[in-house]
This record gives sequence, C-alpha cells and structure tokens, in this order.
Amino acid sequence: MTQHLQHLYEVLSKVDGYVYPNEIELNWSILIVLYPYITGLVAGAFILASLERIFKLHVLRPTYGIALLTALSFMLVATMPLVSHLGKPFRAYEIMVTPHLSSAMAIFGFVYLWYLMVVLLLEIWFDYRCDMIIWAGETTGVKRFLYRAFSLWTTDISPKAVALDNKLGYIVTIIGVPSAFLLHGYVGFIFGSIKANPWWSTVLMPVIFLFSAIVSGIALVMLVYNVITRIRKVKIDMPCLDAIASYLFYILLIDFVLEGLDQIHRIYEAEESFDVLHNLVFGRLFFTMFIMQGLIGTVAPLLTLGTLQFYKPKEKIRKVIYMVIPALILVGIFFMRWNVVIGGQLFSKSFYGYTDFKIGLIGTEGYLMAAFWLIVPFAILSFLLWLFPPWKKKDEEHEVQNA
Amino acid sequence: MTQTRSKVTRRNFFKAGSIIVGGIAVASALTPFDGVLFATERPKGKGEWYGIGIDINKCIGCGKCANACKLENNVPKDPFYFRSWVEQYTIKNDGTILVESPNGGIDGFKQSVPDADIFKSFFVPKMCNHCAKSPCVQVCPVGATFETPEGIVLVDENYCIGCRYCVQACPYGCRFINPEKGTAEKCTLCIHRLEKGKNPACFEMCPTEARIYGDLNDPDSKINYFLKNHTCMVIKPNLNTGSKLFYNALSPEVR
Amino acid sequence: MPQHIKRLVSAFAVVIILFLVMQQVLTPASFGKLGHYRADAIPENEMKTLHYAGSAVCTNCHEEMQTDKALGFHAQLQCEACHGPGLKHALYADKFKDKELPDSLKLHKPDQRKDCALCHEINAARIKIVFDTINNTMIHQVNTLKHNPVNKRTNEKVICIDCHNPHQP
Repeated sequence: MTQHLQHLYEVLSKVDGYVYPNEIELNWSILIVLYPYITGLVAGAFILASLERIFKLHVLRPTYGIALLTALSFMLVATMPLVSHLGKPFRAYEIMVTPHLSSAMAIFGFVYLWYLMVVLLLEIWFDYRCDMIIWAGETTGVKRFLYRAFSLWTTDISPKAVALDNKLGYIVTIIGVPSAFLLHGYVGFIFGSIKANPWWSTVLMPVIFLFSAIVSGIALVMLVYNVITRIRKVKIDMPCLDAIASYLFYILLIDFVLEGLDQIHRIYEAEESFDVLHNLVFGRLFFTMFIMQGLIGTVAPLLTLGTLQFYKPKEKIRKVIYMVIPALILVGIFFMRWNVVIGGQLFSKSFYGYTDFKIGLIGTEGYLMAAFWLIVPFAILSFLLWLFPPWKKKDEEHEVQNA
Repeated sequence: MTQTRSKVTRRNFFKAGSIIVGGIAVASALTPFDGVLFATERPKGKGEWYGIGIDINKCIGCGKCANACKLENNVPKDPFYFRSWVEQYTIKNDGTILVESPNGGIDGFKQSVPDADIFKSFFVPKMCNHCAKSPCVQVCPVGATFETPEGIVLVDENYCIGCRYCVQACPYGCRFINPEKGTAEKCTLCIHRLEKGKNPACFEMCPTEARIYGDLNDPDSKINYFLKNHTCMVIKPNLNTGSKLFYNALSPEVR
Repeated sequence: MPQHIKRLVSAFAVVIILFLVMQQVLTPASFGKLGHYRADAIPENEMKTLHYAGSAVCTNCHEEMQTDKALGFHAQLQCEACHGPGLKHALYADKFKDKELPDSLKLHKPDQRKDCALCHEINAARIKIVFDTINNTMIHQVNTLKHNPVNKRTNEKVICIDCHNPHQP
C-alpha cells in the first residue's frame, strides 16, 4: 500500500504537462498486455492447425497436433492475467453470472468459453479419442487413468466410430475458424470500443488484433516445432517450415499494411487528439514502437521472409532463420500489445500531457508475475505433449509408413 | 362464398401467426445483441432526473468543493484520487495552453504565469458528468456501476470486481480505484445527503454558488433556470455521452 | 446415437446445467429489479455517513456568529467552508457544555495566511465578475506574500485575522 503510493509520488514527479489527477496511476499494466498477447497466440495457433485440416494443406501436417495443443495450453491461462489483476479476484465469477451485455469484457467470457469448450476441447477430443483408448490399453497407473477419464470411459474404436469422430472433428474445425476470428477480434473490440481513448478507438482495432494474432500464433508454433524436433532428435520437416514461413510472410504483410492504414488514416484526419498522440509516438513510445515493434518485430522479419519467397538459401541457413525470425516476431507482437495497452494510457484524455510508467520486479503487477503467466502455458504444453504426443498417434505412424 | 372467406381468414391467421411467432423468435434470438445499442438510445429519464450546472465565471478556484468532497466521502487524501477537483486554465498570449491542478486545487492555486503573458485565465471545476448514456456504465462487465432512476451514476462497491474497464472508458477522468478497497469509486452526487434533504457537499461548500443542481424534468427547477439563462455547453460533446453536467462560459480549450 | 457421442453430449449437458444452477444460486437477490444492477446498491450508497451539517444547523447554537456574518461580505459563505465538516460537532458538542471539547469534536480554526489565500490570493483567473451587486465589489484580492507580512514595530509575523475580522471583513 505505502509502496504503491510511493511509486505514484515518483510517477507524479515525472508527469509531463497536465493529466487528470486520477490518470497519474496507470490502470492496466503488464498483465493486461499479456492478456491479448496470450489470447492472440491461441487464435493464431488454432488457425494454423485449421489451415491443414480445412484447406487440406497437408504439407503442414507435422505441426497440426502441436498447434492444437499449443492453442489449448495458452487458452487455459488466457484469462489468468486478467483475473489476477482484478481488484477483487474472487468476484470474477460475476462476469459469468450477471454478464452486462453492453460490455465487451462481459461477452468475452462467453466467447472464451465457447471457444475453449466447443471448439478447442471438442476438436482435440475427436482427434485423440481413438488414440486415448489405444494408449489406455498400453499404459498403466495415472497415465492410464487420465486416458480413460479424458476419453470419458468410452471404448468404441470401430472404423465407423473413428470415421464419425473425423467427420465431427472436421465440422468443429469449420466452426472453429470463425470462432477463432471472433475470439481475437473481440479482444480488439475491448480496446477499439473505448470512445474516450483516441489511441484505441478505431474500427480497425479488431482486424489488426486478429491479424497480429495469427502472425504471433504461427510464429509460436514454428518455434515450438523447432524446439520439439530438436529435443526429440528427429529430422526437421523443411517443406513444412518453408510453407509456414511463406504463410507467415503474407499474413505479416497484411498485418503491416493494416497497421499502416490505421496510422495513415489517423495522420490524415489529424483530429483533436493528433498532437498528443504524435508526441506520444515520438516520445514515450518511440523505443517500443519504432525499434521493438517496427524494426525488430516487423521490418526485419518482413525483409527476411520476403527474400525467402524468391531466393532459397541453404537448408542450414534457413534453419537458423526459422529459429530467429519467429522469435523476433513474437517479441514484436508483444510490443505491439504493449504499445496499444500501455501507450493508450500514457497520455491524458485531456490531451494536455503524459503520465509515466514503471513496473517493478515483484508484486501482483510486476515482471515476475508476468513471466510466471508466460511460463505456465509452456509447462502445460509440455505436460500435454507428454500425455498426447501427436507423433505417436495411430494415423500419424500410418502416414509415416505410407511415405 | 363463406367457404372462400373462411379459407382466406384461415390463411391470414396462419400468415399472421407465423409472422408473430417468427418475429418473437428472431427478436429473442437477437436480444443478446441489444447491448450494442446502449449508446444509440435516447436517455429516458422519467420523474426526478438530476442535472448539474457549473458557472465558470463564478468559480474563484478556492478548492473548497474538492476538499469538501474528500472529507465528506472519505476519499483517500493522496493527490491521485479525486471525485471532484478544480483545474486552472491559462491561455498565454502566444497561444499555448497551460493547465494546472496542484492537489486538485485543494491547497489553492499559485498564478504561475506573469500577468503580462496571460491572454486569459479561468478555473474549471470538474466532477462526474452523470452521463445519461454513460460509457462507464456501458462497459462495466458485471453491472456494478449503473444509473439510478434519478439519473445518478453510482458504483456498487460490494459487487465491483475492480477490472478498471470503467476507469478507461470515462472520457472525463472522473473514476479511480480505491487503493484500500480495490473497487472503482466516483462521485455519487452525495446521494446519501440528497436522501436526507441536504445538498451535496461540493454544492453546499461553494462560497460563490458557482454550482447548482436540480431536476431536469421540472421546468421550474434551478437547473432549468440556469440552462435557460446561460449559454451552456458540456465537455467533449463529440463523444455523445449524454453528459448532464452543463458549464456556463465554457471555453473550447477545456477538455 | 453412438455410445461415445452420447457420453459427450451428457458431459456437456452436465456442465451447462451446473452452470445454470450456479448462475441461479449466485445471482444476488435484488439484481435486475430496476435494471442490470443490484437494486440494493442504491440504499447502500444512501446509507453512507454524513460529515457536513450545513449552516442551518450551526445557527442553532451559534446564532450571534450568523447575525454578525450576515452584515459582511462573507454573508453567503458557509460556516463549514472554513471550519470544516461539523456534523459530529453539532451532534455531540452539546454534551460537553462546561467541559473542554475532545479534539475529535473540535472544529478547525483557520488562522493561517494560507487559509485566507485560498480565496483571496491574487490570481489572474479570479478577477472576473462582480459578486456583491449592492456594494458593487469584486472578491478582494491580495498578494499574501507582500501584504503586511510582518509587524513593522515588533517584527513579528502577522496573520490576516490580526487586522481583519473573518466573520465581518
């Protein structure tokens, strides 16, 4: 408490110009940066998986299962940063009990549940049910119990049942794509619908969030796939990575163009808020926006991946590129979220000044907490990969034999 | 003859019936989307409906209102939490605008620009606008902030989850999170005083009667007299928040 | 319907029913009576403690001050604007008629230069309109740093109320 106040007095001394007295404190900190970031990773990873399934891009097959499990593990923690930043975390259930329909945040609760329960869990269930039953027969102890429980103690692995699973799974994927779009478009809407804040209030916000989400999700799966193959000591499927890289390039390009459009529109219209935003971008946001998001997160990957479209260097070099570029993109998208969330609060809604922002290492809004919520999904992912290794699936082995 | 008529009526009956049933079905399927319409609807106050008038010409920037508000409502003393505060605007001869509000104006104002450089200077008391289409009410995910039938925007501190979305949505910076309670807090128009027939603290303590309030639906109320006899304006009218805080002599620089 | 689809559907049904039951149980009783909020929140807000009494209450005991004040420029100034919230004082001070008032019931006695400066410190934003239409005067402004800061004979610091009667300035 006193530490919090001490921090605020420190910020007060760094206020530039005039901000409303209640605006000195930054209300949404790093945890709310993480929230759209993690949700975006989910949506993006899922869309990569559905590319394989719906559009029959079988070159992406090696990443299909990984993408789904990545989406699930990040989905499970997506709301945790949000909940842990609440002033009254134990009242969080109210969002589901008495959702206020005019609030984007309340509807998000249902969009989230729909996506988690109806899309992700169902698709994975249909995908793994048959394998879980088989694995249950091959294992013992806790693992066996988990397989049994997760398959809801079903036993039917007749070709007819498996075919039905496949068909239903396919339908779920088709529902899943608009759902993934909805999920992340909605996160964008949470910010884009705040008319009080000119930095957020743009109709393009949901679209920009969506495309940056796809970019970040694809980059994450690429990275995870790289790491997993290295750990499993199997050969990296280069055609698969080449294909992902080219999708990544095109979607990153769309994302870049959309964000450019947004800024051009803002500059051209030069509304009342223009001066304050201009000084914000070239002042307190310069490093995170131009260096981290722009140069490292967008321009460098765009140039590299763009070059790959018409010039293919040796496999060894490409392998390095496919390790480094997704990492850069992930950093870039993180800072994109940062610039939206933090940037939108650094200037006063009076447009007369700027407040300051500093996060500590510890505390509910500190770096450690944020790092924790970033590490947890990877822990969940390792667990899921241990329990449901996509490479040990029956159809997978079958395909390998065929090839 | 009778047969055809009965046929027609029967057909009409089915037609009308299916239209009604279908209409209800569609309407009920769409009700979850009513939320989108929040800010499109006209404010609909019936009976007593409070509005506030502030005369900038009369404000002497003593900060008694801001001080009274803090004392009456147990607002934390630190200069980051205000339900009501006063700003001094100074427009210099070179066109630059200086806005100040040291400790919300509670400790008084020191003129920081020499007279010779001042084009004009004035005080603007700020408080919750008690908007009729309030953005803070619109975004509250759980219904912990709401507009009473009398048009006062309140917070339910026993239900608020402290998500801070309303703080982000308020264009006027009138909300904050109480550091001890962890819930949102804002001006209540001293509803606890109104209920006992007393004026809200800031109105009561204003030495120059720069602020008045009253029933917008009563043609003889103080507020309607004020609106009739002054050229009034709300802050940020472009946002269409349905603000019910009207300022006399509001300069366009005020935001 | 195949067995495993049946299981799945029933699992979903259980979750949905559980959710609906929880929703019923957890929704507060008065929620939705007047709108999408707890109607009880209005009386809860109305029950907050008052601190300011209003000057009508002050007159009950301090009538002489009121008549004094009515003659001067501070006629329309509320007592509590300078003396601070006085409801507690008004309610309980009676019981200490002959005894010393406890500190918690004492009101603020503003005798510092900065207290008067709140309204009377010279400021470009302050000189605007005529307040007292009868005497045709504006609010009086002084530079509190320069306006007789020390007594020239005794060299002691001077406060405003040494010369001005705050109730009838």
